[in-house]
Amino acid sequence: MVINSFRFLAFFAVVFLVYFLPWMRQRHTRQNLWLLLASYFFYGFVDWKMLPILLAITVAFWFLGGFIRKAIDRGNAKAASRFTTLGVVLGIGLLFYFKYLNFFAGSFAKLLNAVGLHVSWSTLNIVLPVGVSFFTFKLISYVIEIHREKIQPSENFLEFATYVAFFPTIMAGPIDRPGKFLPQLHQARQFNYNLAMDGCQQILWGIFTKMVIADSIAVITHGAWSLYPEKTSWYLIYAALLSPIQVYADFDGYSNMAIGVGKILGFNITKNFDHPLLARNVSEYWRRWHISLTGWITDYVFMPLNVRFRNWGNLGIFLAISINLVVIGMWHGANWTYVLFGVYHSLLFLPLILSGKFGKNKKLKPGRWGCIQFKDLLGMIGTHFLMAFGHIIIFSAGVPSIIRLFSCMIKGDWSFVNPFSLLSWYSILAIVVLLVLEWFTRNKEFAIQRESKDYTNKTFRIVFLDMLLALAIVIFSASANAEFVYFQF
Amino acid sequence: MERSEIYEKLNEIFCDVLDLDEVHLTDASVADDIEEWDSLSHIQLIVAIEKAFGIKFTSLEIMKWNNVGEMVNSIIAKKQ
Repeated sequence: MVINSFRFLAFFAVVFLVYFLPWMRQRHTRQNLWLLLASYFFYGFVDWKMLPILLAITVAFWFLGGFIRKAIDRGNAKAASRFTTLGVVLGIGLLFYFKYLNFFAGSFAKLLNAVGLHVSWSTLNIVLPVGVSFFTFKLISYVIEIHREKIQPSENFLEFATYVAFFPTIMAGPIDRPGKFLPQLHQARQFNYNLAMDGCQQILWGIFTKMVIADSIAVITHGAWSLYPEKTSWYLIYAALLSPIQVYADFDGYSNMAIGVGKILGFNITKNFDHPLLARNVSEYWRRWHISLTGWITDYVFMPLNVRFRNWGNLGIFLAISINLVVIGMWHGANWTYVLFGVYHSLLFLPLILSGKFGKNKKLKPGRWGCIQFKDLLGMIGTHFLMAFGHIIIFSAGVPSIIRLFSCMIKGDWSFVNPFSLLSWYSILAIVVLLVLEWFTRNKEFAIQRESKDYTNKTFRIVFLDMLLALAIVIFSASANAEFVYFQF
Repeated sequence: MERSEIYEKLNEIFCDVLDLDEVHLTDASVADDIEEWDSLSHIQLIVAIEKAFGIKFTSLEIMKWNNVGEMVNSIIAKKQ
């Protein structure tokens, strides 16, 4: 059940109506119970076999959180660390079983065979449950934050379970932190017109970027990643250059829909993107891309490593960044291409570390007529090319495919292909609109947000523009209910 | 060591590491208050602070800080 489907609309209409009934709004526990039931129904609808595991792991982490706090209160630091480690191992173990067991066991068997020891390994029939990469990260952050004394353990199981299973974000994030989300479950949510309108606008913009932009580019990139021997060099180059825009429009589109649904229900969900196409270098790109994941990894992987390596100078920073990026790569799935993706990105950091330019970039300042300054534009274009190269690595079926695709690109048919013949005029127009708005609305959460976030006046204008956008979606959407790229991760 | 003395020294370290002309840290100061202070410069700050005060923090200690005030508490505890 994807968010941009009529099935979801029907589901959400029922959830919304019951959620804001006067009797429900009196008590937050009633709303939370309803949200939890809706979330389990939503998740069960997609993957009912995983529901008991989701419930069991939620119970386990809820108890672990309590144990950690009790150990801290008793002054038993060792026990607190042990319970935290248990939680981390449990979370990673769950991910490992579902995502990586086949990959590691298969790679290990291949290695043994290569050195002359004959072992056979038949792939286990493990199906990757939807959302496992997202909710295990929520659970792990819960125990670590309690151990670091940043939060108190949740006293109410209903609130905790709702945090873990919250349906708008369980499938593909954003990965909300307990410190920001749990307090929101602690009070009854009243219907907030401005927040709900802001949410509706955000959903509409998300549907537009997903269905009009991402899905139309997807046709080209899918062709490139799977049928590259049949494609010309120019086609493959266009596909690689369009891919970062496609994945951004897809995943940012999904995130906008999830955040928008959350807003309608009265929640503030963590943002996932901060205009990554405006990044002037790789370091800035990673600060703007999939923020809820990179922020998570920064806090729980990068910082502990960096603290440990702190006296090793640039080597320590490079090591911490490399491990960090390989973890980010591996998070996407079990394939050597993801490892290579991490290694590739860490190599891109090397010149930045050596020149001391890896830190936070200065805020973007407009040049003449409010346009991008030429130097910044060059940086953005350069970063885009580097990202496009990374996309070839991450979307290839395996390491041999990457090499074959590159050789097709370089040694293939160089007869010119008009880039405008690959996409329809309205897709090109939509991409141009996206790129222009990316710059001019860089201080907003999403392109069509009202600066004041106040939607009470000039309603006619909003309705008119929304109708226009909705019409564009209906007429120009590339395909109905196409899968989201990040559902596979 | 007085709290004010520590702050004086910290202001100097922050200016030096983050390349700032002036900074006025308080107990409530956090990374969001200073644009140049991010996860990478944070580590450079810690290394400089450890060197300047001749102390060593544990990893968990560093991870627990919520603001400059808590960091100063750690420094005072180590210097006693």
